[in-house]
Amino acid sequence: MSKITAPSPSRAIRWRRHLDHALVFAIIVALWSLATWRFGTYWVSSPWAVAIRFVETIASGELIRHAGYTLAEAAAGTLIGGVPAVLLPLFLRRHPVMTAILDPFMIGGYGAPKLAFAPLFIVWFGIGMESKIALVVSVVFFIVYFATLNGVRALDAKLVQAAQIFGASEHQVARHIVLPGAIPSIFAGFRIAVPYGIAAAVIAELISANRGLGYLVQNGAMNFDTTGVFVAVLMATLLVQAATWLMNAMEAWLLRWRPPVEMMEAGT
Amino acid sequence: MTALLDINKLGKRFPTRHGREPSSWVIKDLSFSVADGEFLTIVGPSGAGKSTLLNIIAQTDTASAGEILLNGTSVTTRDPRALKPGIDRRIGYVTQDDNLLPWRSTLDNVLFALDVQGKLNDESRGRARQLIQAVGLAGFEKYYPHELSGGMRKRTALIRTLVYDPPIILMDEPFAAVDAQTRTQLQADLLRLWDLGRKTIVFVTHDITEAIALGDRALVLSKQPSRIAAEHAIPIPRPRNVKDIFALPGFAETYEKIRADVQ
Amino acid sequence: MTDVPATMADVGKSATSRKWLVYGGRAVLTVLLLLGWEYGARTLGPLFFAPPLETAQRLWALALSGQMFSDIVATLRVAVAGFVIAGIAGVILPFLLRRSPRATEAVEPAIMFTMGIPKYALAPWLILWFGIGDMPKLVVVALVVFYIVFITTFAGIRCVDRRLISMARVIGASERRISREIIWTSLLPFFFTGLKIAFPRAVSATIVGEFLVSTQGIGRYIEGARQVSNTTGVFAGVVIALVLVINAILNSIERWALRWRPVERDMEL
Repeated sequence: MSKITAPSPSRAIRWRRHLDHALVFAIIVALWSLATWRFGTYWVSSPWAVAIRFVETIASGELIRHAGYTLAEAAAGTLIGGVPAVLLPLFLRRHPVMTAILDPFMIGGYGAPKLAFAPLFIVWFGIGMESKIALVVSVVFFIVYFATLNGVRALDAKLVQAAQIFGASEHQVARHIVLPGAIPSIFAGFRIAVPYGIAAAVIAELISANRGLGYLVQNGAMNFDTTGVFVAVLMATLLVQAATWLMNAMEAWLLRWRPPVEMMEAGT
Repeated sequence: MTALLDINKLGKRFPTRHGREPSSWVIKDLSFSVADGEFLTIVGPSGAGKSTLLNIIAQTDTASAGEILLNGTSVTTRDPRALKPGIDRRIGYVTQDDNLLPWRSTLDNVLFALDVQGKLNDESRGRARQLIQAVGLAGFEKYYPHELSGGMRKRTALIRTLVYDPPIILMDEPFAAVDAQTRTQLQADLLRLWDLGRKTIVFVTHDITEAIALGDRALVLSKQPSRIAAEHAIPIPRPRNVKDIFALPGFAETYEKIRADVQ
Repeated sequence: MTDVPATMADVGKSATSRKWLVYGGRAVLTVLLLLGWEYGARTLGPLFFAPPLETAQRLWALALSGQMFSDIVATLRVAVAGFVIAGIAGVILPFLLRRSPRATEAVEPAIMFTMGIPKYALAPWLILWFGIGDMPKLVVVALVVFYIVFITTFAGIRCVDRRLISMARVIGASERRISREIIWTSLLPFFFTGLKIAFPRAVSATIVGEFLVSTQGIGRYIEGARQVSNTTGVFAGVVIALVLVINAILNSIERWALRWRPVERDMEL
């Protein structure tokens, strides 16, 4: 969901939009404060306390350290899961039989609730970073695989034929025609997969870890420190936003040859 | 014959996106009237604002100047929110795209208008079946739009409007996207249906032959800003055989006259 | 992409022998996976990989004892309840927002931001709030499902063909009728995509909630089994089977609801 009105609205409309956004933000903070006042800071930490603690723990380096662990797990998992998930469909393009053989297994892997297997990953890979990375890999791989596969399938056959007539090799076709053509789909996949991957890392930490944002959440909840819980959740949300922003910027750069279009909805 | 529809000094310009300078007029000082039961064709080069004109008459878009009288009463509004598309079903509109609902079968698409108007009864169903028969769609009632040929889709769109019997029907190049042979057949079908009911039709096209074959009278639109550049009565008696329209007396002169006016 | 036919069609067209090649390949791959599983169990020990045969026996025993059934019911009860509540809210809200572009723009950044919240991470706090009953899990499931259904429905509404709406207005259809017939039917494919994405996540969310605190359900069983024995894989298998079965049900409902579409094409992702 993004731009609904005309692409370049007048200044008055832009101002009104900023004002509306500020108003919605104010309403949310007001409702939150109301909840704090009604239930007490023991149950719902106040926006002010969360902001203070956020700045404090950033300054002390504690929050950054924990966020760093989570981020490292998510980034490693995204790379290890994402790169093969992009390359495999490019290779499978010329092997329809192989694709068909793999199909039910991939669908099973895609549909399987990976997060429910977090304990299994902990049994296999221990309580360190490896189990979290493995969980992120399992989440990212299938989403990106199917996104890329769809992009490769939707490819304009005429472009491929034209390149072959010029004498392009199979490798060159994949590199210069198929991959660029599939980039919007690949990024659509990553835009869904990465926030989910970050959530997966946090969940694995919730269940069993001694560091990371998930650990902070669990620790906060055990000590009845709702401020600590909120700060950790806020940090995780900011990580997701930063990752989304980074991916949008990368896609915009890779697709700078395209006429400007509406940003695709952020994901499904 | 009384004037059923009066277009009076109509003007249209679109709002600009960037600066505040007003855009140029797409339509300006355009006036004509349509008599009850008349088949009027309007010819114009592409980009002459033909679709915009019909959108304004059908009230899916606003006019920027001038007024439209229906039965002598003004039905004009400048406020997009006050628009009444179809003006209480008094104006039917067959657009360039068939706009069939992909999830409804042929019969259900034809019945759609009656359905939303709450006029679905045995009598109206019977009329729908008659129309389906009349245009040769019998046997295809249960087919979905994607299973029909382009010509069949056009016929379905046409009778979907005819079946609820609006006093005026606007047609915006409805046969532009089909091949020449199918088009001739569709034109013949349209004339046959029109002969049965003699509705008032405003038919827009860029094809001079089509304008002559179908109309009682042809208006020629100028390039932007659009206005009426010329008017020609079509002296070919009805019933006409569309397939041999070229050979009929009067066709060649009318064609030449219109062609000279279309720039 | 939940359907095999898309690929099968490309293959099957050229020769039926290819079809058998595909089926054979799948059988071989299945056997290879089972052998790998067995090999893993032998080399790494049953603590890491429960041997497949033993797993199957355990599965059968649990099925007979009825314990599996009650755990499945406990998990599904929460997952389905949250799924239904959030599914309804996720459809109604975009329909309300459709009427006001200004309100849509005003809430857009707030929705995009809160969508990024890892909803599962709220579970420990919700458990503080609501105790160890179904409620905290229900809230997490509902939050997870809501955003997925909301976003896909919203995208669907934006993709509705404007010309169909204009045509219906000219014909004299009321706004309510347009909402019901044209917008709703047009966005059905998007809606089903959203449901199919959301359902496995609803089950996941319930199970994760059960890991953290619960007295029954599949998640509690898996978490309990993790420390003491080798049956983790058993219930993992049950969960996959469960999701696949319900996905198949959703697929057949979708096929029925969208029977007017030219080809069964999946547009998800």
